[in-house]
Amino acid sequence: MAGAEKESGRTTGGRDTDDIRQRLDALEGKLDAARVRHAPPPEQPEGRGRAMGQALRLSTELVAGVVVGGFIGWVLDGAFGSKPFLMVAFLLLGAAAGILNVVRTAKRMQAEAPVPKDLKPVDGDDDD
Amino acid sequence: MISTAYAADDGHGGAGGLPDPMHQFEIKRIFELELFGVDASFTNSALFMVIAACLITLFTVLAMRRGSLVPTRLQSVAELSYVFVANMVRDNVGTDGMKYFPFVFTLFMFVLVLNMLGMIPYTFTVTSHIIVTFALAAFIFLGVTLIGFWKHGVKFLKFFVPEGVPFVMLPLLVVIEVISYLTRPLSLSVRLFANMMAGHTMLKVFGSFVVALGFLGGWAALAFMVAFTGLEILVAFLQAYVFAILTCIYLNDALHMHH
Repeated sequence: MAGAEKESGRTTGGRDTDDIRQRLDALEGKLDAARVRHAPPPEQPEGRGRAMGQALRLSTELVAGVVVGGFIGWVLDGAFGSKPFLMVAFLLLGAAAGILNVVRTAKRMQAEAPVPKDLKPVDGDDDD
Repeated sequence: MISTAYAADDGHGGAGGLPDPMHQFEIKRIFELELFGVDASFTNSALFMVIAACLITLFTVLAMRRGSLVPTRLQSVAELSYVFVANMVRDNVGTDGMKYFPFVFTLFMFVLVLNMLGMIPYTFTVTSHIIVTFALAAFIFLGVTLIGFWKHGVKFLKFFVPEGVPFVMLPLLVVIEVISYLTRPLSLSVRLFANMMAGHTMLKVFGSFVVALGFLGGWAALAFMVAFTGLEILVAFLQAYVFAILTCIYLNDALHMHH
């Protein structure tokens, strides 16, 4: 009686491991799908929030360049006693640095941006 | 002294009956303390930083206490955040950047929890003060620059010399590159601060619209508030993420020296 029970236990045990393995595989597949879906969770906040974030990012880059350039010029002016000239020069240089930063940030955004849904160049032209 | 003066018009310091939307950002001293002539009072800002630090510690310690192979819900949240930041560091800095993972993880969790704490009504949003975000950014900036010089020595200065540029243009371009490098702490701190402050001000303003428009008109503002709160939670996460990922990018620049 005990033996029969043990045997039945073993067989169900074997089936259980198979079952578990299958379920694990299925789960793995589901997990992969979920991973693909959620891959960059913060990258895909749809629409307006994302666009606003990007716009703010670019504009702060630009403004920060001018502010830092102006500040450096102001400090140097104070040090050399050349009142407005260095500040003017460094404001311009700061603007240039800001534009450089914006270009770099935009390039980085472009590199990591997901391909837009309405623009799938890979399969040729399937318009929906 | 100032705190007591302001504490008199408790809560809604605005004129004309509507609450003042900037009132929420006010620093209040909880107990006064002066160290070596410096006002080191424990403020509401400091209180929320302590709360955030305790929450993160409690969360990670409690979640990983068992460390079981099949994670509990709490444990999988902790593991998820670990993997999230670890992937971020590995993708942006490379495997040799994993040395700095503890720092990036701490930074990300700290900013994230501070932002999220700010979304709870009646709490104080620490990251809406530029001095806090600027202190974080300046620390990152200094650290990254030191790492750059430590790894490459004087050669790190080549980071500021763009390649393939005619010799005559170099002085101008090097100055521009240096300024561009110096803007990093400012743009990093302003981004986080501006997002948090603008969002919380908007929330307060539209919240006061709900009350001001009354039972008939308030519903539209209320619906907007619900949507906007959702957006703000997203922004709170996104800004913590951006803060951490930019730290990674700066680290990568210092370690591998290319733009």
